[in-house]
Amino acid sequence: MTVLNELSNAMAAAVENVGASLVRVEGRKRMSATGVVWNSDGVIVTASHVVTRDEELHIGLPNGETVSATLVGRDPTTDVAVLRSNAKNLSVPNWTGGDSLKVGHLVLALGRPGQNVLATLGVISSIAEEWHTPAGGKIDYYLQTDVTMYPGFSGGPLVGVGGEIYGINSSTLLRGVSVTIPTTTIAPIVDTLLKHGKLRRGYLGVGSQPVRLPATLEQQLGQETGLLLVAVEPNSPAEKGGLMLGDVIVALDGHPVRVPDELLAGLTGDKVGKDAKIKLVRGGQIHEVTVTVGERQ
Amino acid sequence: MGIAEVEFEAVREVEIGGSDRLRQLNDDISDAIDRAYHALVQITNSERSIGAGTIWHSEGLILTNAHVIHDETPNITLNDGRKFPAQVLYYNAELDLAALSIEASGLPTIEPGDSKHLKPGQWVMALGHPWGVRNAVSGGIVIGMGAEMPDIPFSSREWVVVSLHMRPGHSGGPLIDTAGRLIGINTMISGPDVGVAIPVHVVKKFLKDSMA
Repeated sequence: MTVLNELSNAMAAAVENVGASLVRVEGRKRMSATGVVWNSDGVIVTASHVVTRDEELHIGLPNGETVSATLVGRDPTTDVAVLRSNAKNLSVPNWTGGDSLKVGHLVLALGRPGQNVLATLGVISSIAEEWHTPAGGKIDYYLQTDVTMYPGFSGGPLVGVGGEIYGINSSTLLRGVSVTIPTTTIAPIVDTLLKHGKLRRGYLGVGSQPVRLPATLEQQLGQETGLLLVAVEPNSPAEKGGLMLGDVIVALDGHPVRVPDELLAGLTGDKVGKDAKIKLVRGGQIHEVTVTVGERQ
Repeated sequence: MGIAEVEFEAVREVEIGGSDRLRQLNDDISDAIDRAYHALVQITNSERSIGAGTIWHSEGLILTNAHVIHDETPNITLNDGRKFPAQVLYYNAELDLAALSIEASGLPTIEPGDSKHLKPGQWVMALGHPWGVRNAVSGGIVIGMGAEMPDIPFSSREWVVVSLHMRPGHSGGPLIDTAGRLIGINTMISGPDVGVAIPVHVVKKFLKDSMA
């Protein structure tokens, strides 16, 4: 057999094997999208943006059957949604971390927007450090490919030539590029959604807007802007911790806060009930206060 | 200087040793193209439009898309440079297929492949003249096939949809598999990275029905 034939057969085999774990997700008005089997209990992982309604969800199984599904929960900040169906004997794929991935590796994007599994080919374009999505979701590492996101591929897996799944592809998290939510980011989200039905988010109880810092403070703090508090809710964690109208927040637990997104991104679920150190500017002086983070309802 | 050269050679040897299979892969790709290449022709009309065609039979039968044909007597340029005026034998706008004949014999043909058992993920290549660039090749994989492909116009018909760069000028040219066999006729694009071809079993049926 030629090397080309071997490669071609290996890719087709990877598509066929992983295809047994892919379902069609019917959760929005326009074209259906793709979901991936998470475990043998009928739990399906997909992209949050392809499930625009919370009820009357259906999934199309590899054997052609269509069954109903319920929404376990979703995290729009990372574009992950979890569904549950009554389907038994679903094939659980090989979800894996991306430790062995390198820029230039061949990868496949798979989808099942219709009856059949579909595939496109590309290479890993970029692997980089942890990043925050525009909506404030924390992603373990940046993973960009040049795979073509065929219509309905969102929620489908990024697959290595050996059939391993590195994560879920999303065409909406960043415009114009295909990014993958890594398996290592998805796993704790799925666990939390299965346990609580939602992700816990930290809560301070403030309204804010970015303001330019005076030149001396800008130099001292190494950032151009901070967050001016324009509202502090009564009895909120912020008020109890001593935050006041007119304070300018510049850091949360040592991480600079320059825009509202950075404050939101910093208030992760694991901070709920714990003390957070908030650095702020009050009367031209830098202060630090401790606030016990509440939970966003 | 002499020492530097020795070191350079040593490094080079290691690198070449490590890429043997990749070089073999490149050779396999060119072998597949070599088997199909001579069956690719160019079709020109008086209005300067350029399409591709695929030699079906050594006695001068050439397949292409109906949309490539604008004249009653289009001109064919073979891969070896010979030019022939062609007659339109069969023309079906609905299927977007046409069969032409030229006064020639002993033409190189292409082995038909199996388009009924294609698999998503398998390697394919499209031959043609994208934007008039002669005898160009694009490579990619099968996305899917059949009559129910999402997001493809005329979706009631059977298609092979491929993940590769197809452009105007590919139309009518061969889509080949890893062994250089004909599995489809390049026909249209659906987005910059998605090509659409008519599977060869549909072409066979078109010819059979036309001749009957």
